Amino acid sequence: MIRYAYYPGCVAQESGKELDNATRFVAKKLNIDLIPMPEASCCGGGALDGFDKNLKLFINGRTLALAEKMGVDILTICNTCTLTLSEVNEELINNSESLDKTNEYLSKIGLRYSGKVKIKHLLYVVRDEIGFDALKKMVVKNLNGINIAPFYGCHILRPSTVVKFDDVESPTGFEELIMALGGEPVSYANRTKCCGFQTILVDRAQSSYLSGSAILEAKGKKADVMVTPCPLCHLSLDMYQSAAGKSVNEKLSMPVMHLPQLIGIALGANFAEMGFSRHNVSLKPLSERIGI
Amino acid sequence: MEFKVRSYRFNPEVDTQAYYKEYAIQDFPGMTVLNALMKIKYELDGTLSFRRSCRSAICGSCAMKINGITKLACKTQVKPEIMKFGIVNVEPLANMPVVRDLIVDQEGFFDTIKAIKPYLLTEGENEELSGFKTLKEGEKIKQPVYSREQFKNLTGNNDTPNCILCECCYSECNGVSGNKKYLGPAALAKLYRYSEDPRDNDRDVSRLLNGSKPDGMWDCVHCQACEEFCPKGISPVKAIVRLHEKTIKNSITSTPGAKHVVSIAQSIKKTGKLDEAKVALGTAGIAGVIRDLPVVISAALKGKMPPLKLEPIKNMDDVKLAYKELGLEEK
Repeated sequence: MIRYAYYPGCVAQESGKELDNATRFVAKKLNIDLIPMPEASCCGGGALDGFDKNLKLFINGRTLALAEKMGVDILTICNTCTLTLSEVNEELINNSESLDKTNEYLSKIGLRYSGKVKIKHLLYVVRDEIGFDALKKMVVKNLNGINIAPFYGCHILRPSTVVKFDDVESPTGFEELIMALGGEPVSYANRTKCCGFQTILVDRAQSSYLSGSAILEAKGKKADVMVTPCPLCHLSLDMYQSAAGKSVNEKLSMPVMHLPQLIGIALGANFAEMGFSRHNVSLKPLSERIGI
Repeated sequence: MEFKVRSYRFNPEVDTQAYYKEYAIQDFPGMTVLNALMKIKYELDGTLSFRRSCRSAICGSCAMKINGITKLACKTQVKPEIMKFGIVNVEPLANMPVVRDLIVDQEGFFDTIKAIKPYLLTEGENEELSGFKTLKEGEKIKQPVYSREQFKNLTGNNDTPNCILCECCYSECNGVSGNKKYLGPAALAKLYRYSEDPRDNDRDVSRLLNGSKPDGMWDCVHCQACEEFCPKGISPVKAIVRLHEKTIKNSITSTPGAKHVVSIAQSIKKTGKLDEAKVALGTAGIAGVIRDLPVVISAALKGKMPPLKLEPIKNMDDVKLAYKELGLEEK
């Protein structure tokens, strides 16, 4: 059994609980032991850095130190958590001044970090630890004939000096996963672009145009469903899809799945187990087509 | 090795729409995409138009999209592109109107640079140290003396003063794709650079106030594309985040972008978690929540409403101590 400290991030524990549930389902099937981190805090995304650089280091240094104490690496299911924790990890490993400063704080709460922890997103845990060939053999509900548009988003790819999972110019991990599950990956330029979530409450027009453009392109390429490895992208693409459609003058009705939900249905999960009723855009027609 | 260059073509004087044209050429060891384009222009098709000058990744003229990614043609070798994509596909920079073939209209980009006042503000500063005057006999020139430490945020091989204005970041910027009025990464990184310059005489934080206006620093979507694709190794997004921090520390917090950051920091201070409901309210206010009522109602009907009261994480005092250690308890 592979063991990881499980860092679901905040959204998967609040509005996006279906993502947490789907991840637990998939982890069980794939024999991944997700060890809870009840003491871990929110990573703060890009925002905490803009509030106070050292606060970002302390808060996330604490999470890294907790995982180090547990003796395991961290598994994430959110792109932004992945990047934020990885950025802090790189900083603490490469900058002794930052590490000393952070350890001074950590010493006051009985912790210490030495830089041993790695942060890995579920997508690449499946690729590197399970293997797509092994995954293929576990598929009970083949997704044959389903056009699936992978939406990588930003923080699982960029900056590639920090998140080093895939080829930043031409990533393949997501497509290979889709093929292992029997689906047809849809090729489209927006797969590695921004969903606009960062400014969804700040500049709605800008944000909606970005999500709208991505959904519209996927629709034009005959996608039956979009899939994202990030709950923030999911909020932008699914929950705010109506605004996204208005932004690109198109009535959109594109179902959007979380990555573990896609793996989950291929591994035998049903509609309720994946929490599909919690999505804004209905997954009923697609689920019926797949036969779940 | 013979390989193909596929170029975007558009001449507004004769073409009604853009098209792509392929050229087959022979490579040579170390051939760059710019070498290939010049070979095409000189030997195959003199009408192919593109900007170039120094051929040494210094002038920034030959930025273009190469196999979908914005790069300097003079810094990009043909061989790895062919090995990866099988072809060299060249297109004009994104986020700017095309003038002809691979040449774009740069005016909008340079307007963003002008907008941030890319020069040291001196007006009204210490008269003794500025302006022109005749020295009296025996009088020595008085010059301000600065320490290296005062320039620490402006120096280094990968820092903002090394920007060559090539527009690679602007072309790749997702924020600009979503809002053409957005200042963009190059201008905002430059704004940070001037805000950190000890010689700058911006006593009333006008730079930070101007940068906080709509279409300014808070429209950065954090896509990281500017850092990823800068040919000089600069990270405009990191400069923008420092600009955010500086703006908030200067109490310029009335904008939705600043409110968003402060709301998240306060939420973590209180519960260790991101309180989705409170952050939304803190950022967009009641008016924003009313605007988003259809989304809120839909979320509620689907059971996706975040809890109104969040339970703090275990050992919450540890997180509070981080705020205390950094003097951020009252922020």
